[in-house]
Amino acid sequence: MGIMVLFSCKENPPTPEVEPINLVLNFLHNVEMDTIQYINAAGNPYSVSEIQYFISDVFLYKENGDKILLDAWDDIHYVDTDIPETSSYNIEGAVEPGNYIGLGFTFGINEIKNQSMLFVNPPESFMFWPEYLGGGFHYLKLNGKWLDQDGNTKVYNFHLGIGQEYNEEGEIIGFIQNYFEIEFNINTFTVEAGQSIRAEILMDVNKWFTSPHDFDFNVWGGDIMQNQEAMNIGCENGFDVFSVEELSIFKLEK
Amino acid sequence: MKKELNKVLAVLVLVAIFFASCDENNTPEPFKPTPYTIEIPYGFPTNLNIPADNPMTVEGIELGRYLFYDGRLSGRTHPDSLMTCATCHRQERAFEAGVDHPDFPGGHPIGLSGLKTHHVMLPMINLVWNSSGYGWNGFLYPDNPDENMRNIEDFVRLTVFAKDEIDGDTMRIVNLFQSLDGYPDLFLKAFGSNKITFTNIEKAIAQFVRTLISADSKFDKYLRGEVQLAQSEINGFVLFTTEEGADCFHCHGGSGNPMFTTHLFYNNGKDTEFTDPMDRFLISNDPMDHGAYKATTLRNISVQGPYMHDGRFETLDEVIEFYSHAVLMSPYVNPLMHHVNNGGIMLTPTEKEDLLNFISTLHDEEFLINPKFSKPDRFPDEQ
Repeated sequence: MGIMVLFSCKENPPTPEVEPINLVLNFLHNVEMDTIQYINAAGNPYSVSEIQYFISDVFLYKENGDKILLDAWDDIHYVDTDIPETSSYNIEGAVEPGNYIGLGFTFGINEIKNQSMLFVNPPESFMFWPEYLGGGFHYLKLNGKWLDQDGNTKVYNFHLGIGQEYNEEGEIIGFIQNYFEIEFNINTFTVEAGQSIRAEILMDVNKWFTSPHDFDFNVWGGDIMQNQEAMNIGCENGFDVFSVEELSIFKLEK
Repeated sequence: MKKELNKVLAVLVLVAIFFASCDENNTPEPFKPTPYTIEIPYGFPTNLNIPADNPMTVEGIELGRYLFYDGRLSGRTHPDSLMTCATCHRQERAFEAGVDHPDFPGGHPIGLSGLKTHHVMLPMINLVWNSSGYGWNGFLYPDNPDENMRNIEDFVRLTVFAKDEIDGDTMRIVNLFQSLDGYPDLFLKAFGSNKITFTNIEKAIAQFVRTLISADSKFDKYLRGEVQLAQSEINGFVLFTTEEGADCFHCHGGSGNPMFTTHLFYNNGKDTEFTDPMDRFLISNDPMDHGAYKATTLRNISVQGPYMHDGRFETLDEVIEFYSHAVLMSPYVNPLMHHVNNGGIMLTPTEKEDLLNFISTLHDEEFLINPKFSKPDRFPDEQ
């Protein structure tokens, strides 16, 4: 036994120090809060008071087209404009050295992970999506005010999450997963051991209401959690809401 | 010879006993209070707001319970001048005053100096899970730059000082409790010193308050699969958690947030003019926080009246009527109050009844009668 221990000790070479590569996503939002100063494509003047959302399943595209999922089970990140520290998401040591041509993530949470009670602590737990409406968590809360066609101030909750299918009696007969994947094509970039990637990702809030569909608050009102048609418009508009403003490679400080 | 030997042995035994007893007297017993662990109820957050410098212990909680209920916390002994936490925080009213308080008409506390408190009370329920700020405007919060304005410990001190509450003097209080049999020993067990300090008074009471946990309502049992809700209660639950229903859940939680509050601050459309200098704006300096106050937990809400920061509603029926038909638009109303576009949630009488029936499932009778939270039979100097 003693010989075996000595033998195995001798066989184990010292573990080489692995220099990790991190991917840091910084989320930016081009809004000044609380003042009605924006106009969407439908002509609604509106304001934004807060933006809260989940992104998950971050991935990179290698030069050869392989899609590299960087996630672990808990790869779900919460962004909240009221909590500045949530605007940065550091995925530590997840990236292999190499050449890459793109990155992306899921907006919201896929149906496997999006289970009720996944988060029990605030602020994430405050995003819960009621069981009756499909459970899990909101993908997005975007709240604010708008001026209706008569100039009256009204409030809106542009919330995305699991949709419902209703029968003629108004009973829920099924649920619809509304999460979607966002990809950014980027000029080839190379990352080496000891370096890390930083991406500045901008949410253009107006695009939630603008492209490809004009989202008219006067039509859809102030709440859409129980309106799959309206949520679907929001999700289809969501594909080009984000853009990579800057991508840089930097050396990790030890 | 045998007698001599016995004498020598006797002397040796006495010497040994002497040194042994000397050793015991000279080496103080190490201070080892018994750690107290909060068991996390099903679905509750796992993060607790317990300051690093005040870990919970069985001895600290026991002492805190005595102090919470001992009217001499005012630093006075005359029966007319007694006041402590429990004078206003009544267990049977979820540790609020309650509209039926014998000394505070309408449930609005009056301090020893005769002044009314600025706001009515908030309940003491599950406060160990609140990290967003204590008080209607959240003036005590964990990362407050003023380290004396952060947590329940600070609330104890401020309450004792406040003219509209206990109006006390810390030195007088410390000296009084130092003179009461039993208390110094309890401080020794809880904090390692029988010299009483006001800091340790704060800590002990805060520890006790953190044990006030409600997690056994009918709705908790429903979540745990132990009971079923009645049809009206289920209808009310659906109303509670749907945007097109009553939409309570965004601020007041639900199955995914069983605190039944976010502990955050909202202008819920009660008014159109805002003159209260102690609203959330005072703390956040955010103009949108005019008229904003903490969303209270709905656990045991049925015994928590009067309702709202100023106690304007005496009954839950009045509260539901307000949310149903009397929500007012203003530049400061929180966007989550989207039903303000229609003046309220516009519930029918049946829906109001269903909603009330659901809210009643948050009643936790065990919390209201739990002897661990009750007034001790005797205080330490009466043992």
